Amino acid sequence: MGVVNPAGALALAAVAVLLALYLLDRRRRVVPLGTLFLWRHVPAAVLERRRFRPDALFLLQLALLLALIAGYVRPYLEDAAAPAPGTPLVVVLDVSASMQARETGGTRFELARRRARALLDELASGDEAMLITAAERPHVALRWTSDRSALRARLESLEPLDTPTRLAPALELALGEARARPGTRLAVLTDLPPEESGIAPDELTAFHYIQLGATDDNVAITALTVDQPPFQATTDATVTAVVRNFAATGRHATFEAWVGGERWERRELVLPPRATEHVLLAHPPRGGELVASLLVDDALAVDDRAVGWIAPGEPLDLLLVSDSRELATAFGEVAAAIGGSRVEVVTRDRYAPNRVAGRRAALFDGFVPSELPPAVNALYVAPPAGNAVCATSRAVDSAAVIDWESEHPALRGLDALDALVTAHASALDVPAWGAPIVLAAARHAAFPLLVAGERDGHRVACLGAELAAPLTSSDRLPLLMLTLGTLRWLAEPFAGAALAVETGAPTLLGPGPTAPIQGPSLGAGLHVAGDPAVLVADRAGIYRIGPPGGERLVLANLFDERESDIGRRDTVESSPATTAPPPTAGARREIGWWMYVAAALLLATEWIAWLRRRAA
Amino acid sequence: MRLWPSAPRRARETTRARHVAARAAAFATRVLGAGADATPGVLAARLLDPARLARYDGLALRVRRGMGERHGERRVPGRPQPSGIELEAHGAYAPGDDLRHLDWNALGRLDALLVRRFTAEREVVVHLLLDASASLAVPAADDKLGGACELAMALAYVALSTGDALRVAVLRGDGAAERAQADGGAARIFRQRASVARVAEMLAAVRPEGSFGLGTALAAYAARHRTPGLALVISDFLMEPDEVERGVHALRSRGYETHLLHVIGAGELDPARIFTHGVLVDVESGARRPIALTAAALARYAAALAAHCDALGALAARLETGYARLVTDGDVAELMTGPLVRAGLVRRR
Repeated sequence: MGVVNPAGALALAAVAVLLALYLLDRRRRVVPLGTLFLWRHVPAAVLERRRFRPDALFLLQLALLLALIAGYVRPYLEDAAAPAPGTPLVVVLDVSASMQARETGGTRFELARRRARALLDELASGDEAMLITAAERPHVALRWTSDRSALRARLESLEPLDTPTRLAPALELALGEARARPGTRLAVLTDLPPEESGIAPDELTAFHYIQLGATDDNVAITALTVDQPPFQATTDATVTAVVRNFAATGRHATFEAWVGGERWERRELVLPPRATEHVLLAHPPRGGELVASLLVDDALAVDDRAVGWIAPGEPLDLLLVSDSRELATAFGEVAAAIGGSRVEVVTRDRYAPNRVAGRRAALFDGFVPSELPPAVNALYVAPPAGNAVCATSRAVDSAAVIDWESEHPALRGLDALDALVTAHASALDVPAWGAPIVLAAARHAAFPLLVAGERDGHRVACLGAELAAPLTSSDRLPLLMLTLGTLRWLAEPFAGAALAVETGAPTLLGPGPTAPIQGPSLGAGLHVAGDPAVLVADRAGIYRIGPPGGERLVLANLFDERESDIGRRDTVESSPATTAPPPTAGARREIGWWMYVAAALLLATEWIAWLRRRAA
Repeated sequence: MRLWPSAPRRARETTRARHVAARAAAFATRVLGAGADATPGVLAARLLDPARLARYDGLALRVRRGMGERHGERRVPGRPQPSGIELEAHGAYAPGDDLRHLDWNALGRLDALLVRRFTAEREVVVHLLLDASASLAVPAADDKLGGACELAMALAYVALSTGDALRVAVLRGDGAAERAQADGGAARIFRQRASVARVAEMLAAVRPEGSFGLGTALAAYAARHRTPGLALVISDFLMEPDEVERGVHALRSRGYETHLLHVIGAGELDPARIFTHGVLVDVESGARRPIALTAAALARYAAALAAHCDALGALAARLETGYARLVTDGDVAELMTGPLVRAGLVRRR
């Protein structure tokens, strides 16, 4: 509804004139009477102070005046909001973690669901609708249907996930549906502003874009890092938690860390507006599951908790096959520094496959046996050319590390690999069983320096650099750490290895059991599928995959600053530009003449009322 | 003596009444058609409405005092006179008495000269004293003047229908109007039934204006009209009861039988019909008083009005004066056949 002549509203001043006339009349109203002696006992009143009590005639005159003014401003009715019958509807509903943020009137997701419910209620009988949820990936929650109860039931069953938002795929999916069905209306309900939706602005105009939420009150753990030197005691581990205040005002929070069910640390944090605080924790009392949490009453709770894993300290148990006396001495020194370690050194000619039995890992220095060790994980250092495990393409001099897979478990906690320079190295080929995890470069080109993978059910790694003594010198320390990190990965028990994942991100699970799953939402928050198995966590938390005794730990966290930064400037709602078909009726119907007709009727009524009052 | 007229007589009276009503209607038409002021014309037509007047047929005024000097149809027992129709008493003969009324039988039996005395038959003049002060015009919605005129017309019709003489006096400020009418001489006393139209014309022409003291006006009237009669004072009596008492005393001292006919407006009984707030102005004195009609104010006014009416009633009872009240939204015919009959002013023939 609108008006053609908004300036006509100035005529409302006539209402004030009418009121003033009445007030003036009240003061001047004279009632002639035959005598006043009967009124002597009635106290005189101060009429100006009396409350204004409009009579029926005044109300009629007021209604008449308002009707005339309403006719003068020429109001009209617009039917644009009413969809034409037979218009399909696609509703894209954001179910990412930020939709769990509390707002006035409920969470953002509840507000969005309420609006979606209203959109579905507007559907004409027989109109079809589709529900698409958008989180890390799109999901068709309900295919095209005209069953109103099924739509409503599906909508009510939806819940927001703990994953980041990728709205663009869901919007593209909806646009595809709209292209397949011309005239389809598109509606998206999200907390992301339109400019962050990920699709082009001209495509966005097809949507009825409803942005919800405004609060920025959130404090989150945006990262949790466990630094555990290889083959060191548990107490040598350190944990770094990154806590960030996303609000525009300062906040106080309490940070707590629990490991293995035992409280480890509790700190009070004072966080200035939009500040980041690094919380460093040292000397854990034990190994096991690490739970870090923030005790703070903010709008978004899902990022107030993070989980990690502190592995139990395991000594070095290694068979070293090398002809280098210096290297044997160096590993002896390393083993002596790590309590409980055991390093057996054999030369190449004395090597026999049965020598590796009972060892947790084996290191072959410049040597690849013709008969591979049957049941042990092995690291091949400086493999010779033409071996059957680690193919090399050429020898390289003066190579330096330029890149590495920091997420790979073998490189966990290693930050200074760019300082690794080796005088002689072999450029490895990428084998079918593994992938390069450290890349180095020389003058000619980059090449894999370390490849790792699984071959015949065992872990295998190939390192193209030569291990030369002294290993513990400062120059060679990065190479030693790389070697030990790789050996740790090779030596760690399969069942005890924890897999840290981020919610919504597909992660290769690797060999091992894929069911049953225990964890948040009775394990429903973690999905495992495919061969090789890939897992995706929809809910943050600790999961266990596999039968009791052979469980594998999966630690799912929401570490996404974009998702945790929930502050929005304002609520936005924009209507589609052209997608919806035109209304069935005339777009604008003026009703000003009806106002004039009403005024005429009111005038007649007022005249009759005045006559009756006069006759009375 | 026949208490009720015979059927042929009733029929004759009815025919006569219809004739009078027809003449009255013709008069009203003439007035309206002559282009006179529409309001008097309408009022006259209303006063002369045949259907309305027919309701008063069969009524007569009851008169106990105020016998006039002229011979008339009213028999006045207790005041025997030498001539007449109905024998009332005997008296000793005195020289000069008419020998035709000497009772020869009594002379033969008693050897005493006795003459017959007859019941006096006199004319009774009904004085319709209509208050035409400005207060009769307000509140306009009440139309007190119209009600007063209608009541006066009903009484006049009854009086003229039963052979009584009628004098209509409109009391206005300083009595000028009444004097002007009196200057018309005997013509101002109506004795013919056909004069009903004239009376209606006179009543319709009344314009309320000015103010005066009712007591003074009535005293002046009594002083000018020494022959007593039946004084019917029609007023709103919006004055102190002492003023009314002074007038009633003056009339009674001249031998008038007096009745006070109180015309009260419906808006005066319930002021909420007229206003909720405003400056009240006395149309006669010009005094002003701002009033907001709250529940408390309404209660106080109602109490004052009730006290005033009670005082008038007590005054009438004390002075042996009739008192009746007409509310403007009431029916005059009901008043005539109900309260005025009970008050002893009207009787059925």
